[in-house]
Amino acid sequence: MSTALPYIAHFDLDSFFVSVEILNNPSLKGKPVLVGGYERGVVAACSYEARKYGIHSAMPMKKAMQLCPHAIITNSSRADYSRYSRWVTDIIASKVPLFEKASIDEFYIDLTGMDKFFGVSRYARELREIITKETGLPISAGLSSAKFISKMATNEAKPNGFLEIPHGREKDFLWPLGIEKINGVGQQTEQTLKNFGIYTIEDLARTPLELLQRYVGKWGESLWEKAQGIGRSQIETEWEQKSISHENTFDRDYTDLQFLNQELVRLTEKTAYALREDEKLAGCITVKIRYSDFETTSRQETIDYTALDDQLIAKVKDLFRKSYQAGRPVRLLGVRLSQFIPFTVQMSLFDNNVEKLNLYKAVDDIKNQFGSKLVAKASALRRKEHPGDKEEGKR
Amino acid sequence: MKFIVSSSSLLKQLQHIAGVINANTVLPILEDFLFEVEKNKLTVVATDLETVMRIQLDIEAKESGKVCIPARILIDSLKNIPDQPLTFNIDKNFGIEITSDNGKYKVMGENPDNFPKEPAADDTTSFTITASALITAINKTLFATSNDDLRPAMTGVFFELDKNGLQFVATDAHRLVRYKRKDVSGPRSDNFIVPRKPLNLLKAAIPANEDELTLSYNNNHLFVKHGTTQMSCRLIDARFPDYKVVIPADNPYRLTVGKSDFQSALRRVSIFSNKSTNQVALSISGSELQLAAQDVDFSFEGNERMKCQYNGEDLVIAFNAKFLIEMLSAADSDEVNMELSTPTKAGLIKPVEQDENEDLLMLVMPLMLNQ
Repeated sequence: MSTALPYIAHFDLDSFFVSVEILNNPSLKGKPVLVGGYERGVVAACSYEARKYGIHSAMPMKKAMQLCPHAIITNSSRADYSRYSRWVTDIIASKVPLFEKASIDEFYIDLTGMDKFFGVSRYARELREIITKETGLPISAGLSSAKFISKMATNEAKPNGFLEIPHGREKDFLWPLGIEKINGVGQQTEQTLKNFGIYTIEDLARTPLELLQRYVGKWGESLWEKAQGIGRSQIETEWEQKSISHENTFDRDYTDLQFLNQELVRLTEKTAYALREDEKLAGCITVKIRYSDFETTSRQETIDYTALDDQLIAKVKDLFRKSYQAGRPVRLLGVRLSQFIPFTVQMSLFDNNVEKLNLYKAVDDIKNQFGSKLVAKASALRRKEHPGDKEEGKR
Repeated sequence: MKFIVSSSSLLKQLQHIAGVINANTVLPILEDFLFEVEKNKLTVVATDLETVMRIQLDIEAKESGKVCIPARILIDSLKNIPDQPLTFNIDKNFGIEITSDNGKYKVMGENPDNFPKEPAADDTTSFTITASALITAINKTLFATSNDDLRPAMTGVFFELDKNGLQFVATDAHRLVRYKRKDVSGPRSDNFIVPRKPLNLLKAAIPANEDELTLSYNNNHLFVKHGTTQMSCRLIDARFPDYKVVIPADNPYRLTVGKSDFQSALRRVSIFSNKSTNQVALSISGSELQLAAQDVDFSFEGNERMKCQYNGEDLVIAFNAKFLIEMLSAADSDEVNMELSTPTKAGLIKPVEQDENEDLLMLVMPLMLNQ
C-alpha cells in the first residue's frame, strides 16, 4: 500500500460549448450566448455574460429568452465539440499517468505521488495553462485530497481560475459552503435538509450520522462522510470502461412508434459500432426512456454476448416494447451496452454470424475512413438532423 | 365442508405440484391450490395459466365441495406439523380451519369459482411411453434449450413423432441435442414443442420407473397422465428451426476419448479460462489431445495433455467448455466420439456404445479463435 498523500485534481472547461462557439466565431465574445435547441429544449451551456441575467444551464430555453431577450442562441459548431474535447483529452493523457474523463468537458486527474518529482500544485497550474494556450479554451481546476472536494473547488474557482485546498484544510473550505454545493444534492434533498435546519456543510457535519440516515435514507452515510472531508471514490480510468451508451433528447416530444423505433435503431447502431471498435462483446443491454414529464424508466436485460447490430437491435426493440407506455410522449431515448468481454465469436448453427460480422466490420471500415455518418441502416435513416436534438455519447 | 387427511401424504403430493406456482403472480388466486373433495377423494390443482398439475389422494370426507387455499402458507405449515391426521373445516366464506394435535390454524381461502379453468382435452391424439424413457429424454435434452425469449421455439424441447419412433430435439443455436427412442411408436407423423417448465416439473413429479405414461396432445396443449398425477401445458406456438440441415453428414475426422477423463480435464482447464466465454482450445495431433485455456485479464493459464485416438489431420478448434462438459454428461458410455472437420464447422459428439433403442447425437459450434 502506498502511503503517499492523495492528490486529485479536477479540471472543467469553462462553459465549454460556448467557448467552442466563440473560437469559431470570435464576434460572440463578451456577449450573452446560449447553446441549445431553439424551439424548446434546454440551455446546454451559457456564457458568463448570460449568467448575469440569472440564466443557468438546464434551464428551459423559453425561460432563458424571457430573462435575456437579446441573448444569442447558437449551436452551429456542434460537430466540433467532441473534436475539441478529444484534443484536451490528448493533452492531459500526454502529461499525466492516471486520469478519468468524467464527461465531455470534465476530467479527474490523479497526481498522487507526483509531489516527489514536482510541486503538485505547480504541475496542475502549468497543465491548465498548457491546455488554454494550445486549444484556446479557458479551463478551471481544483486540487485537493478527494474527487468531490476538487470538483467543488473548481466550481468556486470558475471562471478561468485555480483553487487548491491543502491537506488538513478541507473543513475550512467545505464547512462555510451551502449544502446545495455538494455534487448530487438536488432540490429535493436540499429542501428536506433545510427543513431540519441544515443549511451549511458544517451543519451537515455536526448532524449525527443516524439522524442524517433517517432524513435522507441510504445516501446519508456518504453525505456525512463528504461533510467530514472524506471522499472514497477512485479515479476510474478510461481503459476500465464499464459501458458504452448513446442517448438523444429530441427537439420535441414524440409518440410516433415508427420514429421512436428508427431512433432506437440509429442509437444502437452507433453504440454497437463503438463496441466493435473497442474489440468487445456486450452481455447486457439497457434501454432508457424519458417521457415528456421527465419520468424516466430504464429496463435492462442480460443477453448472449454479442457485437452484432441485428441481435442488439432486436433486443433493444423488445426492451422498448416491454417498457414503453403506449401513447405517452417521449422526450429522450437512450441505449446502453455493458458487461464487456474480450471479443470472441460463438458461432451459431442457424445464423451465419461470421458472415454478418464481416459485413459489419466492412461497414465500420467505411465509417472509419470516410466518417461515421456516411453509412446507416435504411431503417435508421430519418428526417434531416434537427438542430434541436441534443445527443450524447458516453463511454 | 370438512375432511380428514394425513399430513405427510398431503405434503408429499403438494410438493409435486407446488413448483407450478410462480413467486410473483399476476392474479392472486394463482398463489392458491384448488382443493376439490368428492367421495373420499381429494383432488388438488395448481396452475400458472400455462401449466396445470393435478394430484389426487384418499381422504375421509362426508360431503363434497371446493375451496382455494393459499399454497405457500399451507406447505410451510405442513412441513412443520408432525405426521398425523389433520382435520380441515371450511366455512361458507371460504375460511379454512386446520385442526391438529398441536393446535388450530386459520387461513382465509378464496372462492373456487374464480380459479382458472383447465384447458379441455379436445381432439387429442395419444401415445404411450415408459416413465423412465420420458425422463431420460428430458434429462438428455433440457439442458440444451435456450433462455432467449426472442426465439420462443428454442426455449422448449421439440417432440417429433412418427411410426418408427420418437425424437426429442433441443437447441440454443450454439449446440443441439437429438435423442431418438426406437421403442416408442407415434400414432402418426407429427410434432410439437413443449416448454421447459412443465418438463422440469414432470421430471420431479414422476418416478423414473417402467410405468406406462399416456401422452395426449392437440394443437395447443399436451396432456400427461401417470396414475393419479396429471399435467397439462400449453405448447409453444412457434416453428422449430430446420435443424436437420445443420447436422453435418460427413465430418471426416474422428477423435475418440475416455468420457470421464476428458470431462475432468475440461473441468480443470476451464477454471483458468475467461469466465464469460469458457473458451478451451483443443489441439489434436496424432494420438495426443492438448487442452489450453487462458484469461488474459487475470493472467490465468491452464494446459493439459491426454491420450486419444484420432484419424485426421492436425487440428486446433476451440469450444465453450461448459457446453462440452454438459454434453459429455448426457452421454452414457465410457468413451465418446467427436467427429470434426474444420475449426469453424460444427463438431458432433456421440457415445461410442448405445442401447439399441436409443440414438443420441449432439453437435456444438466452435468459438472462433482470434487470428
